[in-house]
Amino acid sequence: MADCRKIFSTFVCLSVVFFLLVVDSPALGVKKKENALGDKVQQLMEWSSKRPVIRMNGDKFRQYVRAAPRNYSVILMLTALQPQRQCTVCRQANDEFQIVANSWRYSPSFSNKLFFASVDYDEGADVFSTLKLNSAPSFMHFPGKGKPKKGDTFDIQRTGFAAESIAKWINERTDVHIRVFRPPNYSGSIALGLLFTLIGGLLYLRRNNLEFLYNKTSWGIGALCIVFAMTSGQMWNHIRGPPYAHKNPQTGQVHYIHGSSQAQFIAETHIVILLHAAVTFGMVLLHETAVSKGDVGKRRIVTLVGLGIVAFFFSLLLSIFKSKYHGYPYSFLIK
Amino acid sequence: MAGESNIRTALSNPAGWQSLLSFSILALAYLAAFSSRLFAVIRFESIIHEFDPWFNYRSTHHLVNYGFYNFLNWFDERAWYPLGRIVGGTVYPGLMVTAGTIHWLLNSLHITVHIRDVCVFLAPTFSGLTSIATYLLTKELWSQGAGLLAACFIAIVPGYISRSVAGSYDNEGIAIFALLFTYFLWVKSVKTGSIFWAGCTALAYFYMVSAWGGYVYIINLIPLHVFVLLLMGRFSYRIFVAYCAFFILGLLLSMQVPFVGFQPIRTSEHMASAGVFALLIAYGFLKYLHTHLSSLTKSEMRSLFFFAVAASAAAVLMAVVYLTYAGYVAPWSGRFYSLYDTGYAKIHIPIIASVSEHQPTTWVSFFFDLHVLVCTFPAGVWFCIKKINDERVFIVLYAISASYFAGVMVRLMLTLTPVVCILSAIAFSNVLERYLVDDTPKVHHIEDESEDDEEGDKRNKSKDLYDKVTKTAGKVRKIRHEPSGEPESLGGNVKTIVVMAVMMILMMFAVHCTWVTSNAYSSPSVVLASYNHDGSRNILDDFREAYYWLRQNTDDHSRVMSWWDYGYQIAGMANRTTLVDNNTWNNSHIALVGKAMSSNETRAYEIMKALDVDYVLVIFGGVIGYSGDDINKFLWMVRIAEGEHPKEIREGDYFTPQGEFRVDKAGSKTLLNCLMYKLCYYRFGEMQLDFRTPPGFDRTRNVEIGNKDISFQHLEEAYTTEHWLVRIYKVKKQDNRVRLDHTVRKTDIKPKTKFTSRKSGKRKRGFIKNKLLIKKGKRPSSKNKKPSRKSSSKK
Repeated sequence: MADCRKIFSTFVCLSVVFFLLVVDSPALGVKKKENALGDKVQQLMEWSSKRPVIRMNGDKFRQYVRAAPRNYSVILMLTALQPQRQCTVCRQANDEFQIVANSWRYSPSFSNKLFFASVDYDEGADVFSTLKLNSAPSFMHFPGKGKPKKGDTFDIQRTGFAAESIAKWINERTDVHIRVFRPPNYSGSIALGLLFTLIGGLLYLRRNNLEFLYNKTSWGIGALCIVFAMTSGQMWNHIRGPPYAHKNPQTGQVHYIHGSSQAQFIAETHIVILLHAAVTFGMVLLHETAVSKGDVGKRRIVTLVGLGIVAFFFSLLLSIFKSKYHGYPYSFLIK
Repeated sequence: MAGESNIRTALSNPAGWQSLLSFSILALAYLAAFSSRLFAVIRFESIIHEFDPWFNYRSTHHLVNYGFYNFLNWFDERAWYPLGRIVGGTVYPGLMVTAGTIHWLLNSLHITVHIRDVCVFLAPTFSGLTSIATYLLTKELWSQGAGLLAACFIAIVPGYISRSVAGSYDNEGIAIFALLFTYFLWVKSVKTGSIFWAGCTALAYFYMVSAWGGYVYIINLIPLHVFVLLLMGRFSYRIFVAYCAFFILGLLLSMQVPFVGFQPIRTSEHMASAGVFALLIAYGFLKYLHTHLSSLTKSEMRSLFFFAVAASAAAVLMAVVYLTYAGYVAPWSGRFYSLYDTGYAKIHIPIIASVSEHQPTTWVSFFFDLHVLVCTFPAGVWFCIKKINDERVFIVLYAISASYFAGVMVRLMLTLTPVVCILSAIAFSNVLERYLVDDTPKVHHIEDESEDDEEGDKRNKSKDLYDKVTKTAGKVRKIRHEPSGEPESLGGNVKTIVVMAVMMILMMFAVHCTWVTSNAYSSPSVVLASYNHDGSRNILDDFREAYYWLRQNTDDHSRVMSWWDYGYQIAGMANRTTLVDNNTWNNSHIALVGKAMSSNETRAYEIMKALDVDYVLVIFGGVIGYSGDDINKFLWMVRIAEGEHPKEIREGDYFTPQGEFRVDKAGSKTLLNCLMYKLCYYRFGEMQLDFRTPPGFDRTRNVEIGNKDISFQHLEEAYTTEHWLVRIYKVKKQDNRVRLDHTVRKTDIKPKTKFTSRKSGKRKRGFIKNKLLIKKGKRPSSKNKKPSRKSSSKK
């Protein structure tokens, strides 16, 4: 039996040697490899000159990204852009990725060492399964030599997917420095320009009757709006981007007030705006009724209503504050 | 209260009575402002707080010892080793000069006070002055009653106390006074249009420039005021005179401060004032032409005038833009730009983003710092807009801009606080003056008397100082506004209810302020206190213990490396040379220290050798559960180091694969072996704090540490304070002989057997008697017998 095995293995060895000798003479192999590489690079260059991010399906992925002879890096975005997937994050990530790819495509150091590609889940579901991925979007780097290592998957959770951080990651992995060039965002300035022309046009149309510009009430309301927005922490919302409200996944209960004094929800700030506005309104009411001339009984009622508004909404505000700021001892009317 | 007859004589002269009241209220407000800031001094001792005040104290000390000119020329070689710092040219000297002047004055009156006490009590003194300045400003804007109310508000409001408790010897303490006083003088000069008041404004502005970098706010707000007045068509020669005089004098004076230098004509932050100045001149010139060209018709004149003004405005704008592009004027600096583009600092300047007081403000901190004022001051804005005039435009602009800035940055709450006090004082006084008036038709004489009796009762009843002040503040108004031709009375009951409720709310405010001051803003942070279950107090004085150890036990010129937060304290208390400190002017130097802290020991040793470090100091809170320690700040060190050395330091290496920052066993290897980790946790694994927890349990992060086996090669522990809060390590000198850090390579090759000649092999090699011989090829069973046989045969 041992003999039998020995013979068999010798046969296999021989046949392999023979096969190699006949089919794949070494010189020919190298040349062919180079050819294949050259073709691949040329093909990729052609594609990337058409569009900076090459769209791939399973076959192309295996041929150009996975298959062995490579001297170029590929940054691959795995995503799901079809509308039925309802992946809004993917769309944002895609925009950022396009910015990076464009910056690379039109940068002076553009070369054939780095390509950008993307695979959509609906076009290449098999890619996702071979890479053992079950979430989109994700970014992977396929280096020129060898297989992707641990750091070759971009950590979206921690760093986010802003174009700058993608470029930084690419710089880390490939030593290619990409200066991110964002197409300037004209929408803000266009909106501003439109607003100004609108205002200017309105003023021009009503040039014979500019009295409304001297309307103190509208100016006052405008000023109060800014003040309310700022003192209720809208700027914090703008910078930190908190959720609107928090829904407890276990109980399904919706919390509008954040439990800690370090953070807030958007809904909470809206409530605070209302409370501030109510207190202010109450104060103004108190003053207006005192100076107005009218029926005394009516004015008394309005005065008490104004006072009630001030006291009630202020104590409400105080109780919300108390619930957020742990250890605060005071409250007024409402616990 | 004075006797009945005194009141009667005083009542015959209401003006004198009124000024006496307002004087006493202001005096009480001053006293309240001063005394409510003394919690820290009473609880601990007269000590300088926190970080920046230590530098200010140190430089004041230098000023007092060596004189003003030596102070201006002071080159501090003990900071930013090996670079040094030109202190005289890089500080706002107003604070030090103020404290030095007070010290000199007291000493020349033979009241010998240590300069430290002057420094500690400077901020409370100036808060009293602030409340008087607030009174003056509000009186100009609205009325005397509102002014008194505003003075009381600002005396105790936590938003201002937070930066001006005793011991918090910082620029803001005197700068808010300077700010409000400048604004008061500006409003005064707008009202009068006199060069005298404008000159005073410029002088106050000069004081502000010498005291705080926030002067930029004044030099933008006042031009904005003028510009808006022009837009509103409220141009008058009063404004023209006031602004031109103020601008020119203020510009020249502000350039006298060495740190400011030529900035007022070279940077964008100041260009608004110059542009408005040019515009105002153009406007005035056109007005002048207007009087001479009376041949044109009125409508022609108006359109011509309008286009000329618009053209000059455009020309000014274009000129500024051109100068900026051409490089004559520096663009907005990062710190100011981050106020406009709020995401800017986060991406580009981690050192700004890392400071907690540069974070945006939640509504909770608005409420915490301002309480009822934050929801009533919009009513004040409303009243001001409804009864607008030149100076109320100013206060409205101030309110809107300051609330924007306070929303962007917690720190700028300080500039919002005064305007909130002023405007809610206006709102409250506007309401109270309608309800406190007793307008039931009575004989004039009796009416006044009853009011005063009522007031006297209130004074006797009320125990709360602030509350009393607010009540009387309302009264003053009443005396001025004698009810005449007023609408029909609402009736005494309704009025009493309203007044009572408003008083209740104001009382809540006073109580809140005291609570906040006592609990949140009165900790020196150099000395920590912990409370036991029975309420007794433990003082943790580790910081000073460590700094005094450094002072006593190290060489005078030894260099201490620590994170920049502690630079000023080391310089101030230990008097040793530091590498980086709280004046974060050199980012790359800080990044180098951050890199040393976040590399492993060998790499760090190279950096420390290059920087001549003798001692390393870290703050470690794991034993007592102090959360502001270096491990919690560590990620910022990594981030700042990464910004300058992206090849060597990567933030991602310090996280677990799940993206968490952990110091226990699951933490990343890089973190567990970096210098900072080792310095903090050296020998901590041997320490069992509690029977319920394993040894090496970190109380701040509530985990058992991951690397308990820490040993040092290039460092040695020099000192650890009582509660392990501060740990100091000595950096060893380089060895005379560099020891290999690996053992000599061992090979499998056995040493060759020595050559032996075959002839006399046995004799040369020596032999053992009775040596057992094994003969090969025999079965093992017979082995036992053979030797025995042989030995026996030999015998």
